[in-house]
Amino acid sequence: MRRLGTTPEDERRGLYTLIVLILAGLVVAGVLVSFALGRYPISPRQLLAALRDKALELLSALTGGAVTATKSDLVTDQMRSILFNVRLPRVLLACLVGCCLSAAGASYQGVFQNPMAAPDILGASSGAAAGAALAILLELGSRMVMVFAFAASLITIALVMIVSRTARGNRLLRIILAGIMVSSLCNALTSFIKLVADPNNILPEITYWMMGSLAKTKPREVLFVIVPMTLGIVPMLLLRWRINLLTLSDSEAKTMGVNVGAVRIAVIICATLVTAASVSVSGLIGWVGLVVPHLVRRLVGNNYRHLLPASMLGGALFLLIVDNVSRNLLLTEIPIGILTSVIGAPFFIWLITRRKETI
Amino acid sequence: MKIDVRDLSFSYGERRVLEGVSFDARAGEMLCVLGPNGVGKSTLFNCLLGLARPEAGEISIDGQDLRSLGVRELAQSMAFVPQSHAPTFNYSVFDMVLMGTTARVGGVSSPGSREARSAEDAMERVGISSLRSRGYMQISGGERQLTLIARALAQQASVVIMDEPTANLDYGNQLRVLMRVKELSREGLTIIQSTHNPDHAFLFADRVLALLDGRVAALGAPREVVTQALIESLYGVRVTLSTDENGTICCRPQLT
Repeated sequence: MRRLGTTPEDERRGLYTLIVLILAGLVVAGVLVSFALGRYPISPRQLLAALRDKALELLSALTGGAVTATKSDLVTDQMRSILFNVRLPRVLLACLVGCCLSAAGASYQGVFQNPMAAPDILGASSGAAAGAALAILLELGSRMVMVFAFAASLITIALVMIVSRTARGNRLLRIILAGIMVSSLCNALTSFIKLVADPNNILPEITYWMMGSLAKTKPREVLFVIVPMTLGIVPMLLLRWRINLLTLSDSEAKTMGVNVGAVRIAVIICATLVTAASVSVSGLIGWVGLVVPHLVRRLVGNNYRHLLPASMLGGALFLLIVDNVSRNLLLTEIPIGILTSVIGAPFFIWLITRRKETI
Repeated sequence: MKIDVRDLSFSYGERRVLEGVSFDARAGEMLCVLGPNGVGKSTLFNCLLGLARPEAGEISIDGQDLRSLGVRELAQSMAFVPQSHAPTFNYSVFDMVLMGTTARVGGVSSPGSREARSAEDAMERVGISSLRSRGYMQISGGERQLTLIARALAQQASVVIMDEPTANLDYGNQLRVLMRVKELSREGLTIIQSTHNPDHAFLFADRVLALLDGRVAALGAPREVVTQALIESLYGVRVTLSTDENGTICCRPQLT
């Protein structure tokens, strides 16, 4: 006899809650470890002291000196500077980018009814790369590289949508084909920019950008991307139950009361927004959006209600770990995009061969 | 709930698929749609479900024009059971059934405990509660079809439209699924389903709508309208109808 009130449904929800709590705990632990690692390790105690000082400083400024700012002896000024200008933005950005790329990957897989869809399926990354390459070529500075990449990414997807609207045939296929065409055009543009770029300083910079890296993260970049990321993530979370219905045929979803066209476009726009924001600050980081949702599918199942939040936490954790490897494994930084591919591809092969189960 | 179709016409470009189709279906009635492949059964269903816009004619549910209903409102009064299929992702049977409740929860919210209960009830009514945690891809074709029927029940619509619910099922599963469907219509649902088997019409239908060349060839109780001549003109094969000792009519092809 089952105990009253515990259905398999409750058990599954309990398991999901447990997994989410564990993932969240690991992200917090990962953040603390990230501060302690590196050339200037910052212990959790020092981190807390520095954060408290900063909070009091802000409070004091807000209240006009009613609260006195303190300065803990545990932390040196140099440490403070490293903490707030280098380490904290980088750790935050690793979590944000990982979270966004995973969420976007999982969402694209749902709306395109394709388990192999990744955040760059429509060319958001190719567009961003072309924009970034152009800004680097014109020597506009790192801020404009980010802005150009972000804008170019959004323009690319807008173009894909316009082309797919006028094309004929199956709607989903049209969008994907338009994505392939437009991103191919973007790649051609990037190649041309590389061709004309100065091979001594500009070309290496473009190449390095394309490898993907969080090494040059600045506080203002985090502030820049956090707005589009929030604007994309929140609606995706709200619509996540309905993404389940989009994975069925359009006619089924419609007869179950879902406005298929509107929901699909909304999810595509949101997923594109967070992908564009991520790529604009981190360069091309592949595999996260494919590997993490697939791993999480094994853990919590395909229901987007559970899949999406768990993927976001899983993505944050994954990229945080990989970024720590990227900055600590060798004396010089390894671009994170190289690492995610090195880890991602074999991991994915293991994932799909492990069990005889459809992906 | 009563569904009324008046003078429905539909064309794909130049090709007229439906012409002046009129019929109605009442609560607790099982209406079987007979007709050869390509006669427009699916098109008719698409029009009923609001997936295709008819060229002319009117469809009303309880006197309310279909065109005045939004996607969600329509889903609350009419549910669709497609042929069993393989979706991209493997959902649990429970999740699959729970998706049917989406029309009941507004805006951006997800199904809650009330919807979970109606999904439970729906699985109970169809007799698949024991499959709840199994993957939809891991169950048999007949069980999948029952899952889709439970999903339509969870939608709590009073009209259920089924597109050949027994296609791809083995002989036993065909009858088990149809018996279950018949019980549901006895409980007050309006069921409109297409079938290719005249025997199914004799066994389960309250009324039969026969379509030929986009027009209504016959409409009425199966014993009265499904004649040898009708079956032969619909399908182009020679058959004999015989009545067994229980009074059930049986259709047998004549092979030459």
